[in-house]
Amino acid sequence: MNAQAMWLNPWISGFSFAESVPQWLLTACGLVLIYCLVIVPSGAVMGYLERKLSADFQARVGPNRAGPAGVLQPVADLLKLLQKQASRDWNWREAIWLLVHTMALYSTVAVIPLGSLLLLVDTDMSAFLPFWSALVLALGTMFLGLSQGSVPGWFGGIRVAAQALAGAFPALIALLCAGIRAGGFRWSEIAAAQSSSPLLWTAAANPFQFIAFFVFVISGLVLLGIPPMDAAFSAPDIHGGVSSHLSGRKLTVFRLGRFYGFLLWSVIAVVLFLGGWELPFGLSTELRNADSPRLLQIFELCWLLSKTFLLVLVVTWIAKVNPRSRVDQVTDFAWRVLSPFSLVALIGASLVAGWGAL
Amino acid sequence: MGGVVTGGPAMMRGSVFSTILGYLRDVLWGIRSVWGSCLTAIPYLFGSGELSKEVTEQYPDPISSKIADDLPPRSRGFLVNDIERCTGCKECERQCPVQCICVEAEPATDDTKIWVSVFDIDFSKCVFCGICAEVCQPASLKHTKNFEGAVYELPELVASFGRGWVTPEQRLKWAKLRQQIEDDRVIL
Repeated sequence: MNAQAMWLNPWISGFSFAESVPQWLLTACGLVLIYCLVIVPSGAVMGYLERKLSADFQARVGPNRAGPAGVLQPVADLLKLLQKQASRDWNWREAIWLLVHTMALYSTVAVIPLGSLLLLVDTDMSAFLPFWSALVLALGTMFLGLSQGSVPGWFGGIRVAAQALAGAFPALIALLCAGIRAGGFRWSEIAAAQSSSPLLWTAAANPFQFIAFFVFVISGLVLLGIPPMDAAFSAPDIHGGVSSHLSGRKLTVFRLGRFYGFLLWSVIAVVLFLGGWELPFGLSTELRNADSPRLLQIFELCWLLSKTFLLVLVVTWIAKVNPRSRVDQVTDFAWRVLSPFSLVALIGASLVAGWGAL
Repeated sequence: MGGVVTGGPAMMRGSVFSTILGYLRDVLWGIRSVWGSCLTAIPYLFGSGELSKEVTEQYPDPISSKIADDLPPRSRGFLVNDIERCTGCKECERQCPVQCICVEAEPATDDTKIWVSVFDIDFSKCVFCGICAEVCQPASLKHTKNFEGAVYELPELVASFGRGWVTPEQRLKWAKLRQQIEDDRVIL
């Protein structure tokens, strides 16, 4: 039984068919389950929180019609977008790029770390795999924009490419900092180097790791085009960029992809720098000793996701009270501020690690 | 974060240390600006924010307003015309792609001289392409480095450099003057 399907064991071991079904089927089912039970609901929750939070900051009410306090608004949005009529001008290039980049993007579901027992792919290079998703998202979005044959698409696509190139370098260097402290890029190693106490998180280990954490989060915003670094998708000047030509189901797929990118990035940031999934008060060890893997999976997942949502809320908070940065300022900022600071953090982190090894 | 990106020519000046210090000061300014706006927003999150208070930063904020020295050497700001040198040849009016220049010239003291009575540039139409300054033979029309020209009424954007129409009295006075000069020459 391989790693992807292993997490299903506590749930299906009671059924007799568990041994007879082929591995690839179990793996596929596991990934689909994670996608449906974790990622899509997280996208809905993030969307709702973002809308409510921005409404509060702007002294509005926000969504309040669908369900109590508007909690069903994401569902209503989804249903509305799904029943929209498709636009008449069918563009096969656009359709293909949307399909290809969405498939490549969700292939990274296999590498998300969601808990010590929900660790799907745990290799020596695991921590680099989210970059695959971010770059695939940027590449796909760029080609999507270029294939639309419209001015907003062109500009959106080019801006996406510029931001992705500018954000990737500092993000990678910041990742190296976390890896240097943990002694490897395996999810389990990175998690083992930290603990539930905030004082033992990587971000709090030394000032350089703190800088690295900041650089990692901000360069993620640049790389993925998340507000306030979303000049590639700005409404006032380029009508939402690439998404200006998408509507209905295509827009749903596209938006969910961007949400997924941000969620993945935040999960990674929490795992790398903010203590990961380790439950407080030694609960993780107790549950492991009590041999209750199902509870451990659920609790660790919830703990990790709540930390992630907190990080997302902080980013939303900053995004809602600051103006959207111009695209040349974003790339300039990434190259001239984030990159030098990430290098300083890398040098410092290496020195601290070397000092510890002496 | 606007402060961080104002570098360019200004960063070339001064020593390495002052450059690094200025860079760090910019970064600190950016962090403080973001942090300040985040703090400002907290009361609104809990519904206790003052709704009538202005909390946004006004336009010429502390460091983003550029001085002329920071602008590129060939940047094109508002146009200015030196009416003393202007010959009223109307080449700028002909070349202007948006027809924002209006020139009227009439004979001055005698028919060989030109009196530029109207020279209006409508900056609400001007695209600052610089063609007019390029074709100006006496080089009287030039770009300044001034670019801040927000006004409340559209007509305020029209800059007038002309000397004004020659009145009949003025023309009469010139004629008399010319006559007098002529007479003097005859006497001599």
